[in-house]
Amino acid sequence: MSKKKMLGSHVKQLLSGVSDHGNEHLLELETDLVQTTILLAEAIEKLGSSFLALHAAVSNQQEEVDLLITYGIAPEASVERLKLIQGDIALHINSAVTSLQFQDLTSQLISRTVQRSVGLREVLSTLGLVGDVIPHDGGTDEIAVLLKEITLRLETQSIELKKLLRKAVNQKHLDSGDIELF
Amino acid sequence: MSKTILAVDDSGSLRQMVAFSLKAAGYQVVEAVDGQDGLEKARNQVFDLVLTDQNMPRMDGLTLIKSLRALATYQRVPILMLTTESSDDMKSKGRAAGANGWLVKPFDPQKLTEVVKKVIG
Repeated sequence: MSKKKMLGSHVKQLLSGVSDHGNEHLLELETDLVQTTILLAEAIEKLGSSFLALHAAVSNQQEEVDLLITYGIAPEASVERLKLIQGDIALHINSAVTSLQFQDLTSQLISRTVQRSVGLREVLSTLGLVGDVIPHDGGTDEIAVLLKEITLRLETQSIELKKLLRKAVNQKHLDSGDIELF
Repeated sequence: MSKTILAVDDSGSLRQMVAFSLKAAGYQVVEAVDGQDGLEKARNQVFDLVLTDQNMPRMDGLTLIKSLRALATYQRVPILMLTTESSDDMKSKGRAAGANGWLVKPFDPQKLTEVVKKVIG
């Protein structure tokens, strides 16, 4: 085989290799992310139910404690202590409600990552398709023209993908967000 | 009679926390799963306040606000956005669409109820 023929074959092999391997890894990445989404959805459902059940139980307990206080059964020192504990519980509930919103944020980020991966696989498919067009015995100039075309197509696809994936979640912590009244 | 709030969000866990917080403060809460669902519920009942997310399937928050403001019954009803979006550009769009306020997620339940009380009492 001549050097020219070898170059054509090598370029074809490289492009289809990048396309096939890239696709395979990205598919695996998407599968893992979908699995993570399912696990997080189940986790938040269970955490939410447990939180509401726990809150209902604490509220019932508090009603009983209030009755004991009303009827003067609880010692004075305990009454003060119970009020402090009540304050602590309210703070923890506030904090839990803020933290339990994590899934809304993480699911949006995961969804954006999956969409990006799907888009990247489309970009990689372009590489594979163009690779198929390159002739085994193509000359250097012919291959250079095709490679330039690929580069332009990849750039266009990449820009379109960026436009499609606007970032809606910039939060890095689960602190409560800003409030603005117009 | 307690005031009723329409909470629109495609995240079930977020709606659950919004409903928990507002019910604890004495409000009644009706939930909608996206803008389209919110609009249908708003057509059947006039709520005292609408609290909506922005990014949702079928109909987003800004479109919902514009659709509600086009209804005679919703021209003066307060509408607050509760969203992960925090850019000034999005806030300007919200204001232009007819939103009365912008709350960035995650929310603190105490702050949320304080804002709601300030807006509808």
